[in-house]
Amino acid sequence: MKINCEAARPLVPSYLDGELTEVQASPLRTHLLDCPACREVAKEGKSLGRWFEFQSEPVAVPAGFAARVARRAFAGDPGLLVPEPPAIRPRRPLLPFLLVVSAIAAAILFVLAVAIQRESLPHTNGLDARSRPRWLDDHSVEHASAETPVQRVETRR
Amino acid sequence: MITMHEVAREDTQLVEEALGGNQLSFQLLIERYQERIFALARHYTKSAVEVEDIVQDTFLKAYRRLETFQRQSSFSTWLYRIAVNTALDFLKRMGRSPVQAVEDPELSASPVRAQAGSGIAIAAPDARLRREEVARITAEVLDELPEIFRTVLVLREFEDMPYQQMAEVLGISIGTVESRLFRARARFKEAMIRLHPEFAAAD
Repeated sequence: MKINCEAARPLVPSYLDGELTEVQASPLRTHLLDCPACREVAKEGKSLGRWFEFQSEPVAVPAGFAARVARRAFAGDPGLLVPEPPAIRPRRPLLPFLLVVSAIAAAILFVLAVAIQRESLPHTNGLDARSRPRWLDDHSVEHASAETPVQRVETRR
Repeated sequence: MITMHEVAREDTQLVEEALGGNQLSFQLLIERYQERIFALARHYTKSAVEVEDIVQDTFLKAYRRLETFQRQSSFSTWLYRIAVNTALDFLKRMGRSPVQAVEDPELSASPVRAQAGSGIAIAAPDARLRREEVARITAEVLDELPEIFRTVLVLREFEDMPYQQMAEVLGISIGTVESRLFRARARFKEAMIRLHPEFAAAD
């Protein structure tokens, strides 16, 4: 399979890095043999790579470094440079919390319902009409000429 | 001869032992990787003390997160990821904030512009230059690059990492590794010609 310059150029860096499969590399090699311009691109890439063939003298690892760091790690030393992010508190399961809140709410509602019911019941067994609400008496005072329903009943009798 | 698979198996075994409370196993893991992590950290700071701080913090962090190590990736990939992040965190903390990808116009450039950037060519190092001199110039030029570009060049050129491993270390796709590497090389060439115009390739 033949490829043109447009297809060949983007493949050159990966080819030089040894990242192409043989299926990809084979047509590129053929193209490079035929194309001086693309061959020049590959040559420039190789020239660049030569700058990385030598590294500065390695930084000497201090004596006993591994033993010291392992000791610190096992002693729980968190290190000096970057603090650990704050520990994420484990989320408490929601269902038990909702059950407790619901139970408390139900108990409060029950107590309130009982209290309201007791308040609305008569305090004695007698059917005493005089035990009517005070506001009715106040009303009858304001209209002194009018008879109260109780008086009206007594009159008729 | 120890194969890669055997190394990985041994790493996993040492991790298990360290998790079980064996300090010596963790020490062996440090001994196995300390030189490579020192070499990596050196690309982020000139100070030997700071290099040591970064490496030490990398291993302390690795120990604290040892339980989260997924056996799917190799221990070295996992460790490199921690080391790179530790180094970048270090730069941030020291006020030498790493340049973010979104801040870099080169990364948002069109493919045409990126292609144009690659038009710059540099010559191979002069054969008369001593190895130390080549290494010094390369380090000087690398220092000019934003950390994201420096990191991909260091992992690829010095650590000889395949794209797949680079993608795992950096937490990016292989496609992003390729494009970032492409732009990093273009930026390296630009910086080289700016600092050392004598190395521009003759037409």
